[in-house]
Amino acid sequence: MTAMRRDLLLCGLFAAAALAWPMVSGLRYSVTQTTFFFIWATVVVQWNLVFGISGIFSLAQVALFAIGAYVTAMLGYYLGTSMLLAMPAGAVVAVIASIALGLACLRLYGPYVALLTLCVSQVLYVLIVNDTDCFTHPPAGCMPLMGGVRGFSRFGDLGFRDWLGSGFYIGNYYVGLALLTAAILFSILIIHSPMGLAFRALRDNPVYAAARGVDRFRYQLWIFGLSAFFTGLAGAFYAVNTGVVGPVVFSFPHLLFLLSMIVVGGVGTVWGPVIGAVVLMVADELMRELGDFRDIGMGLILVGCVVLMPKGLSGLFQSLSARLAGPAASAAEKAK
Amino acid sequence: MDVLFQIIASGLTLGAVYAISTVGLALVFGAMSMLNMSHGALMALGGYMAWFTLTGLGLPPALGVLVAVGVCAAVGALIYLLIARPMLGAEGFETRIFIATIGFGAVMESAILMAFGPQPKPQPLAVQGGIGLGGVHLPVQNLLILGLSMALMLALGLFLQKSRIGMAIRATAQNRDAARLMGVRIGGVYALVLAISGGLAAISGITVSSLSSLLPNMGGDPMLKAFIICVVAGLGRVPGSVVAALFIGLFEAAVQYTIGVRFSFALLLLLVIVVLIWKPQGVFGRHQGVRL
Repeated sequence: MTAMRRDLLLCGLFAAAALAWPMVSGLRYSVTQTTFFFIWATVVVQWNLVFGISGIFSLAQVALFAIGAYVTAMLGYYLGTSMLLAMPAGAVVAVIASIALGLACLRLYGPYVALLTLCVSQVLYVLIVNDTDCFTHPPAGCMPLMGGVRGFSRFGDLGFRDWLGSGFYIGNYYVGLALLTAAILFSILIIHSPMGLAFRALRDNPVYAAARGVDRFRYQLWIFGLSAFFTGLAGAFYAVNTGVVGPVVFSFPHLLFLLSMIVVGGVGTVWGPVIGAVVLMVADELMRELGDFRDIGMGLILVGCVVLMPKGLSGLFQSLSARLAGPAASAAEKAK
Repeated sequence: MDVLFQIIASGLTLGAVYAISTVGLALVFGAMSMLNMSHGALMALGGYMAWFTLTGLGLPPALGVLVAVGVCAAVGALIYLLIARPMLGAEGFETRIFIATIGFGAVMESAILMAFGPQPKPQPLAVQGGIGLGGVHLPVQNLLILGLSMALMLALGLFLQKSRIGMAIRATAQNRDAARLMGVRIGGVYALVLAISGGLAAISGITVSSLSSLLPNMGGDPMLKAFIICVVAGLGRVPGSVVAALFIGLFEAAVQYTIGVRFSFALLLLLVIVVLIWKPQGVFGRHQGVRL
């Protein structure tokens, strides 16, 4: 079985298990939390393509997510656009923003890219929060163009409320599942495609790869733009699912939470980010009781993982399974 | 004309505040190619330690500052021992240390939040009063900051140029392996550099909070600006970053007076992007040939 077939099979198994989850678990809370897991996992799976596979240390993914969310909310709020149209529009705007950002920062290397992308998302946050000029005057008072500190609410949904009544969250759950499954499939296809091969070549022997005509900048720009689509779509779906979009989606703790998922799960693998998203969502849930200690716990998890297991949980699994397979393999050698 | 002087006066003060932070960051990056993302939290820690020793313990100001600097320097050395040392020389050090210090900074910030609460506090080290010079109002605090910053930069420059330890730091920054072969204890240099950077962060935190007020997340914005200045100057260029800090301070003050405070950060970023497209290594950065 090739690696790609194995990954596709795993993806199918995952989707099948997740399809049954709302029927197994009767709790509304666990279903809505799993929907959030789908959203975060989508973002980190796409972020992993940029960070892990193509080696661009970009922190812009959260900003792209927020752009998707804001465009969707603003289209719905100001123009009354149907969410079915506004969501893809948000994703497309995220792609355009990503390509513009890529053109500006992909000529730089490593930490410069991280700093620049971090500053861009911080500037967007500051611009939105500090905007107090009224753009329109809804009954509630004053609404700045980008929503200001309060953000947007009541901009529409996918119509599950009319259709399913109080069970509307189950509709959202399946949309989230479809989103994540598509994002994972996309990630698998990219990793096992010629583009994935090009990045592996660039990583293993940059000079030889360049001599064979593999243009790092072009491939990086491609992946920067492509990965923004599902990231923006995840943001759009986040907006629809929660019904509120505020500047908090740009905020630093939010970025930290998602970055931790990639690092804990394992950078540059297909399943690492998904595992990381599961682990951190569970850890977040367990630490909910701890109040103020929650942020400290999150930070400690991140530091501990970076220092102690640089390849993340998926790297740990790999080395463990290699060690377990080691004695068996050598025994088989002896038997011959 | 008065407006121009006012802009220059407040711009130089801003620049002086940024310079203290920027030099600390540049020193660390130059010596060990490490971007310390917990610098902002160190600044907050320094500011709060000064507040705590002066208001809480009633120590004299000079001693309070000394305690704040000492604590932050110790935390800086701790960052080396706990986080940087285990991954030194490993693959992807620059990325990993960046992420790890983000996490450490978050931990420190939350700890400060829990210890001192979310309400803004006044920095007791602020000096009241001002000098009128023609039509220009110059607060004593700003002059003090400018003088302090320049004295610190001068002292640091002399230390790096003249002392044996300063020479070891510069040697490590230029060529790690050659320095090690010459008998420089690299680990000690790294710990020292991070401690110096921590101490500078404390002073920077005290000056920043004396101009506004103490908040647990007060370091975030100045740290990002300090990084921007580092990038404009070329990462790791210590003297260049002082010049760049003063320039950026003037630029920011000019934007704040003419266009509005809200856009100063955005325009600053735009400036950086233009600089980086024009000179990807920074204005003072040397082009380094990358050997593959």
